[in-house]
Amino acid sequence: MTATATNAPTKPNRNTVRATQKRELLLLLGFLLVIWAVTTALSPRFLTPANLKDILIQAAPLGFVVIGQMIVIIVRGLDLSVASIMATVAVISTTTIDSTPVIFAVGLMLGAGIGAINGYLVAYRRVTPFLATLATMIVLQGIRFAYTKGAPGGTLPETFRWLATGDILGIPVALIALTVVAFAMHWVLERTIFGRRLKLYGDSPAAAYMTGAPTRLLVVMAFVISGVMAAIAGLFLVGYVGIVDNWTGRGYELDSIAAAVIGGAALSGGKGSVPGVLLAALILVSLFNIVVIIGLSIELQLVIKGTLIILAAAVYMKRSQN
Amino acid sequence: MSMLVRATRAQPVHLVVVALIAAVFVFGMTVSDRFATPLNLANVQDQMVALAIVALAQTVVILSGGIDLSFAGALSFLCVVFASLAGDTTGTLLLAMAVVAGAGILIGVINGGITAYVGIHPLITTLGTSTILAGVALLLTRQPTGSVPLFFEDFTYGRLGVLPYGMIFVIALYLLIGFMLWRTTFGTRIFAVGDNEAAAAVSGLPVKQTKIAIYALSGLLCAVAAMYMTGRFSVGDPRAGVGFDLRSITPVIVGGTLLAGGKGGVLGTALAVVLLALLANVLNFMNVSSFYQWIAEGVIIIAAVSFFAGKGKS
Repeated sequence: MTATATNAPTKPNRNTVRATQKRELLLLLGFLLVIWAVTTALSPRFLTPANLKDILIQAAPLGFVVIGQMIVIIVRGLDLSVASIMATVAVISTTTIDSTPVIFAVGLMLGAGIGAINGYLVAYRRVTPFLATLATMIVLQGIRFAYTKGAPGGTLPETFRWLATGDILGIPVALIALTVVAFAMHWVLERTIFGRRLKLYGDSPAAAYMTGAPTRLLVVMAFVISGVMAAIAGLFLVGYVGIVDNWTGRGYELDSIAAAVIGGAALSGGKGSVPGVLLAALILVSLFNIVVIIGLSIELQLVIKGTLIILAAAVYMKRSQN
Repeated sequence: MSMLVRATRAQPVHLVVVALIAAVFVFGMTVSDRFATPLNLANVQDQMVALAIVALAQTVVILSGGIDLSFAGALSFLCVVFASLAGDTTGTLLLAMAVVAGAGILIGVINGGITAYVGIHPLITTLGTSTILAGVALLLTRQPTGSVPLFFEDFTYGRLGVLPYGMIFVIALYLLIGFMLWRTTFGTRIFAVGDNEAAAAVSGLPVKQTKIAIYALSGLLCAVAAMYMTGRFSVGDPRAGVGFDLRSITPVIVGGTLLAGGKGGVLGTALAVVLLALLANVLNFMNVSSFYQWIAEGVIIIAAVSFFAGKGKS
């Protein structure tokens, strides 16, 4: 018995998992610093406080969305509806309500509700996450356009705009909000039973079920978190842009999946960390900014993004095989 | 009759879709006198040709347990390339066709190669290639560009009675791919890989090569769709493919092919393409704005998936 046990491939223990995570984070950080250094050498306009602040403010909405996307990916899911949630929440709450706190309260509840529908379809109706969220994405799009008759109007309250564009002691409010949420979600994921169960479910749904975890509820909660994150991101994004638009957040579904994958989340489930995906979001937004700063054609952003998605996925695949 | 059922691999679920088509058709006739006219029905067919071709490609890929999201970028890129090369003579047209078909196959080989040999999930692989190709298409040109020979444009608008040439071509393609799926070794391998990849590998099937061939076929069909679309537009639009990645999936799912792979077929997809096109047409006659049509599309996906979810278990 003992002989078989020692011969069997040893399962990586918690410490080696931590060490791998740490190395992946350092790799991402190193990559970010390299592209920043190269750009600084190429253009004096990149490493200025104003530009760095721009990058951070622009990265904030993607940061919220990618945290939610990662949590869904951890439970073997995928959320294609995030961009549609962003726009729908932003359009419905800002065109009907004038008070900033109420806009946020209603917006977050809307996001949670839509996330719960996604989660219900996936966990209880056994619809593939891809199709469930594809369908909600299209339905929400229809509801939103029908509601606004194609052209949303209304003005945004002053406080609301300040939340998205203003700063406290030189630090953008959006960034402070993201930092708070990121620390909270990191704590939930790494230090609570709920977080452990999410990862356990991603590793093996059967094992999670055996331990007595409410597996269906776990999946619903993951989608609810994603819905809430998308709602926050949508509100910050309209606040930043200043105009309510039916296509607010267009492309964020794919950008958030890209950032999650680059940040180390695996579609097979069970893997992902908040710092990893946030660094990845920062890398993506930095690259978009760099393309503009250096004066390259803006379409190059797409080519870079696509290449990075495949390269990152290939690197992680190699690492997990070794 | 029973031979026909066997040959087409007809299933009870197909009957449901046929019944829905009939219902939509009858309903359409009550909505407008112009609905059941040859002109309108030919128009409906014109509108489904491109979607029918990429949905056919998507069906084969999904049957093998994969997914191909590269159509958005690939169609845009191939349309631009085709229009830039097609010129105005038969010679240049044939050259453009060969180049675009080759490029489509190459895109597929890259998708399949990365998926099979590096082991990246096809969703991520094809999302990556699609993004790159969308970027390249726009780097080549921001405005619609190029042209096609006039006779080719005429051909894509041509009709045999109520049947557009494009539709006849699509029917032939579906028969061909259906034959390939049910009657050839390659087809059997596609189902084997989709049903249980590990089992297929253990029983000695060349899983990786099969995957590359599947995505190559998908890329080739995408190239064919690009030629047709360019002919219809008579220019190469660098945004021609926008939305086709997700739109190509709806008919496959509504037609009863399971996203998990291994179960389904081309007949379901064909019927679903017809159903969705007729429904959109009828809703247009009713002056239902596209906003509500989106809601309908989403609900149809959920309804279809919930319907088939129970079937997959048994």
